[in-house]
Amino acid sequence: MFLRVFNRLEEAIICILIVSTTLLVFLDVVMRFGFNAGFLWSQELTLHMSGWFVLLGASYCLKQGSHIGMDAFVNLFPVGGRKILSGIGCVLALVYCGLILYGSWIYLKKMHMIGIDLEDIPVPAWAAHSILLIGFSFLAIRIFILLWSIIFGDVEGFKHADEAKESMQIAEELSKEENMI
Amino acid sequence: MTTAGLFILLFGCMLLGMPIALALGLSSIATILMFSNDSLASIALKLFEALSEHYTLLAIPFFILSSQFLSTGGVAKRIIRFALSIVGHISGGIAMASVLACMIFAAVSGSSPATVAAIGSIVIVGMVKAGYPESIAVGVIANAGTLGILIPPSIVMLVYAAATEVSAARMFMAGFIPGIMMGLMLMVVIYFVAKIKKIPCQPWAGFSEVVTAGWSALGGLMLIIIVLGSIYGGIASPTEAAAVSAVYAFLVAVFGYRDMGPIKQVPWRKEGEGTGAMVGRNSWLIFSNFHKCIYDKEINKVVLDAAKVSIMLLFIIANAMLFAHVLTTERIPHFLASIIVELGLSPWMFLIVVNLLLLAAGNFMEPSAILLIMAPILFPIATQLGIDPIHLGIIMVVNMEIGMLTPPVGLNLFVASGITGNSMGWVIKACLPWLGVLLVFLILITYIPQISLFLPELIDKIQGY
Repeated sequence: MFLRVFNRLEEAIICILIVSTTLLVFLDVVMRFGFNAGFLWSQELTLHMSGWFVLLGASYCLKQGSHIGMDAFVNLFPVGGRKILSGIGCVLALVYCGLILYGSWIYLKKMHMIGIDLEDIPVPAWAAHSILLIGFSFLAIRIFILLWSIIFGDVEGFKHADEAKESMQIAEELSKEENMI
Repeated sequence: MTTAGLFILLFGCMLLGMPIALALGLSSIATILMFSNDSLASIALKLFEALSEHYTLLAIPFFILSSQFLSTGGVAKRIIRFALSIVGHISGGIAMASVLACMIFAAVSGSSPATVAAIGSIVIVGMVKAGYPESIAVGVIANAGTLGILIPPSIVMLVYAAATEVSAARMFMAGFIPGIMMGLMLMVVIYFVAKIKKIPCQPWAGFSEVVTAGWSALGGLMLIIIVLGSIYGGIASPTEAAAVSAVYAFLVAVFGYRDMGPIKQVPWRKEGEGTGAMVGRNSWLIFSNFHKCIYDKEINKVVLDAAKVSIMLLFIIANAMLFAHVLTTERIPHFLASIIVELGLSPWMFLIVVNLLLLAAGNFMEPSAILLIMAPILFPIATQLGIDPIHLGIIMVVNMEIGMLTPPVGLNLFVASGITGNSMGWVIKACLPWLGVLLVFLILITYIPQISLFLPELIDKIQGY
């Protein structure tokens, strides 16, 4: 139950971030052409929102399997070998998250100590950049879950996005219409 | 030594099946830690800045959003009808119309596999019915579909612009003439093939059909006009144009075409309805249903899909910027450039090497990933040899197009085989003769820089630089 609410919330936040970023830039254009005015803070805000959008979404995409990667090599092996290789991949990915997390912790601590704000928005810089810590923690947790289910479950490796398969949706939608007629 | 370490780690991680973004990030960080004095804190900051300092990058999610709204079967049908009304009566007309439809849809969707799926699943059946051999139909569509990344606005070009800090607007200008040229080349070949095979053509449906079909396709066509017009005219930056096009695409898909959303399939005009009543009913319909878009299932799914693709791309780009940082601080491209200069390799020989390298890489990786890894390496070398960065970008994009038609990762091949139910081997054979056209085109693009550079330079001149 909790997980379902959490998932839904995560999706909602991601959607709200991308939609509001779009609308904010759109509003900026309208203001500039329609009223010859602009907001000083809008550019910094949109850029930070996109930063939050991507770093928060990175872990969501890992869960949904919408990152791209190569599985041609791993697929050459039988299930056991595939699991071992993917497991090593997971451990390396965890190392990556660990390094970034460690770096962001030091960076955020320093920013907190200095206590400066962003350039145009009166928000402390450490808070605006804190998504580094949040996003990569989520990513690490999700990679750990993946590693766990590779070792103890029946997952064989990373899930990758398949643009070809996604494009087939349009074709399926069209053939469904044909059948209806 | 550093170079070898970096690339072994990168390719090792990628072979293990790690997402490319993580592979790029890990190999870059490891190299920085081992061979330079940068602190981890500065790396973390760099990763965040990659996302929060580049206004041009924002165009990527916006264009993806707009293409998700308009990459539907309904839009494809309208565009095909419009294309048929224009060139359908010429010999080989249906195939030509398919190419034209691919060109228009490519501009709207910015994605090659989506173009093949949407246009192909409608026209291939039609072409076979009209007397074309199926292999020609499939070959034409799979090839014309690759235009998705060449005809602006194209997401792959934005990725190149991000990787090399070349102006995205100029890339969009540069892709225009090559895109149209390739479409025309395919059409000319089709014309002769159709003459030789004596394939019957459709009767000329009359000018009124052009107007009505054009009117129904206008929703999609206007998007191209708005985006390219504002960018070429220097009115708006690609990011702003993309945001406008995303909002526009939403309005057209939901309230104009009504292919999705709360008032799906509700007709604009009911039978026997007067103009006044129609305007009144539709205004009320739009007004009273506007809030429903927020929680409409279909619209939510479109937005979420766009978000996923955007996050995937932007996360790779953020990590690729770390990678590019490593390359520059370790002066790897400069090192390679000095070797090339010492060898006495002239620019045209270098371009052959580039083409071969990219064609090989295109067999194994996705276009955006290749661009992000190769562009930071090739770009400084090309500048040193006096090759225009914009020209290099177009060469890279055309190479990526060919990569979409070569196994094992040729996305267009998978889609073409999926929609026709034929085996991969059959599709590859069907595409092969048309791939020849694409290769000739690549040679032209590589050795006549003016094809790519004419329009950006002309627009510069008009704007008085």
